Amino acid sequence: MTISWFQAILLGLFASLSSMPGLGGTSIGNYTLGRPLIGGLVCGIILGDIPTGIMVGTAMQVVYIALVTPGGTVSADVRAVSYIGIPLAMVALKSYGLEASSADGAALATSFGTMVGTVGTVLFYGTATMNLLWQHIGWAAVEKRDYQKLYLVDMVLPWISHIVFSLIPTVIMCKLGANVVDAIKVALPMDGIAMKTLFTVGSLLPCVGIAILLKQIVRNAADFIPYLFGFTLAASMGINLVSSTVVAGMFAILIYKLKLLQLRKPAAAGAADFDDDEEEI
Amino acid sequence: MTETKKLSKKALSKSFHNWYYGNLTCFSQEHMQTFGYLVSMLPLVEELYAGDEDRKAAAMNTYTAFFNTEPQFGAVVVGITAGLEEARANGSDDVDDETINGLRAGLMGPIAGIGDSLVVGTVIPILLGIAMGMSTGGSPLGAIFYIIVWNLFAYFGMKLLYYKGYELGTKAVEFLIGDIGEAIREAVTTLGGIVIGAVSATWVSVKTSFALYNSAGEAYMVLQEKLDSVFPGLLTAIVVIFCWWLMSKKRLSPLKVMLLLVVIAFVGVLVGFFDPGLAY
Repeated sequence: MTISWFQAILLGLFASLSSMPGLGGTSIGNYTLGRPLIGGLVCGIILGDIPTGIMVGTAMQVVYIALVTPGGTVSADVRAVSYIGIPLAMVALKSYGLEASSADGAALATSFGTMVGTVGTVLFYGTATMNLLWQHIGWAAVEKRDYQKLYLVDMVLPWISHIVFSLIPTVIMCKLGANVVDAIKVALPMDGIAMKTLFTVGSLLPCVGIAILLKQIVRNAADFIPYLFGFTLAASMGINLVSSTVVAGMFAILIYKLKLLQLRKPAAAGAADFDDDEEEI
Repeated sequence: MTETKKLSKKALSKSFHNWYYGNLTCFSQEHMQTFGYLVSMLPLVEELYAGDEDRKAAAMNTYTAFFNTEPQFGAVVVGITAGLEEARANGSDDVDDETINGLRAGLMGPIAGIGDSLVVGTVIPILLGIAMGMSTGGSPLGAIFYIIVWNLFAYFGMKLLYYKGYELGTKAVEFLIGDIGEAIREAVTTLGGIVIGAVSATWVSVKTSFALYNSAGEAYMVLQEKLDSVFPGLLTAIVVIFCWWLMSKKRLSPLKVMLLLVVIAFVGVLVGFFDPGLAY
C-alpha cells in the first residue's frame, strides 16, 4: 500500500481542519474530524479501505478517548494522530500482513499512533506560535479601528500557519513514512524484543487514556465502583456498550433525583447532610 | 436617549456563528480565544454603535482583554456580554468595561471546569464509546453516528447557551452552578464512570503470557486464566487503576506514565510476562 501525492495532500487538508486550533472550528474540526474514530473513516475513504481505516481509528480512539486540553496544554496532537498516525498504521498493517481486526493489529496501530501523536505536539506549538504573527496584525488593526480585518486575522491568515505546520508535515510524513515503515520491518523482526515491546506498549497505552478520564471522576476509592460496575457489565456479563449506557442512564436518573431531593430540603436535614461529600467538579 | 436599541436577529445570529466557528481558529498560547471573542462581538458592536466610531472603538477595546474557556459552554458568556453591551448602548449606568471584563474573567474558570468535565470528559467519551461499539469490525456506522449526534448536540447546545445568556444575563449561569446543575453533574459523572468502565472492558485488553510448566512441558498454571477466574479482565483493570494512581496520587504527567509503560513493557517482555506471540 502506498500513499500518492494527491492522497497525502488530502490528508494534509484534513489535518489543517482538525487540529486543536484547527480551521474546521472547535466542534466540527477538533471534536469531530480530530477524533481518531472519525479520522479513521476519513483516512479509510481517502486511502480506499474504509474497514481498515475504521478499525485502526477505533484502536487509537481508546487512547485518546479523554483528550482534554485544559488551558491549551496538549499531551498529544490529534491532527498527527488522526492524519499521520492512522495512514501510516494502515500502511504498516498491510506491509506486515496483519489483520486490523486482530488484537495485534490494534496494538501495532496504537503504538504507531501514540508515537506520532506525541511527536506531533511540536506541530501544535508551531501553529500556535505562528498565529502570534497574525495576532500582531490584528492588534494593529484594532489600533487603527480597521475592524473588518479581524475576520482575516481570525479565520483566514491562520491557514498559513496550517499550511506550514499541518499540511506540509502531513504530506512529508505520509510520503516518507511508508518507506520508514518498510525499513522498520527489515531492521526489527517481529519476534525480536523491540517489536514485542512495541506491541505490548500498544496494548498498555489505552489504559492511560482511560486513566486520564478517571482522574476527573474518581477522587477516592469508592468512586471506582461505578467504573468497575461498568467494567463488570461488559467483561463478566457480556453486555454491549449501548445496553451498558442504558443501564448507566437508569442509575444516572436515580442519582439525579436523589441529589436534587438532598439539595432541596436544606433546613430540615441540611445540617446533618452537609458534610464532606460536596466536591466541586 | 431617544429610542431603545435592540440587537437585530441577524446581528445576534452572526455573532453566534462567529463564535461557533471562530472561537479557536486563531489560537496562540498568549491570547487563546481573545480573537474569537473579538470577531463574535464585532457584528453586535457595529450595529449598536453604527456611525459612532469613538463608541465603537471603546466597546471593541473592552474585548481585547484575554479570554479562554471551554468553547462550547463558553457560548453562554458571549451571549451574556451581548446582552450587557446592548444595555450599555442604551445608556445603562451600571455597565462599564470593568463590569464586563470582571464578569468575563470571573466566569472563564468555572465555565471551563464544568465544560471540560461535562463535554470533553463525559459526553464525548460516551458518544465515542457507543460509536466504537457500532463500528466494530470496520463498519462506518459508528463514525457516522458520532458525526451526526455530536454535531447536532454541539450546535444546538451552544445556540441555546448563547441565546439564554443574551436573554437571561447572569441568571443563565445560575442554572449551571445551582442545585439542578449540581445534580446533573453528579448524575452525568456516574453515567460517565459506568460507560467508561464498559468501554475499557470492551476495548482495552492487557494480557499476560506467564505460565508455569510441569516436567512434561504442559502448562499447569496459566496466569491469565487464573486472573480472569477471579474477575474477568482483572489485569486490564489493575493497569488502568495503576495509571490513575500514578497520575492523581503521584502527580506524573500522562507522557511520563506512557514512558513508564514502555519500560514496564520492555521488562515484561524480557522476563516473559508479556509476549504478543508474533512472527512473520
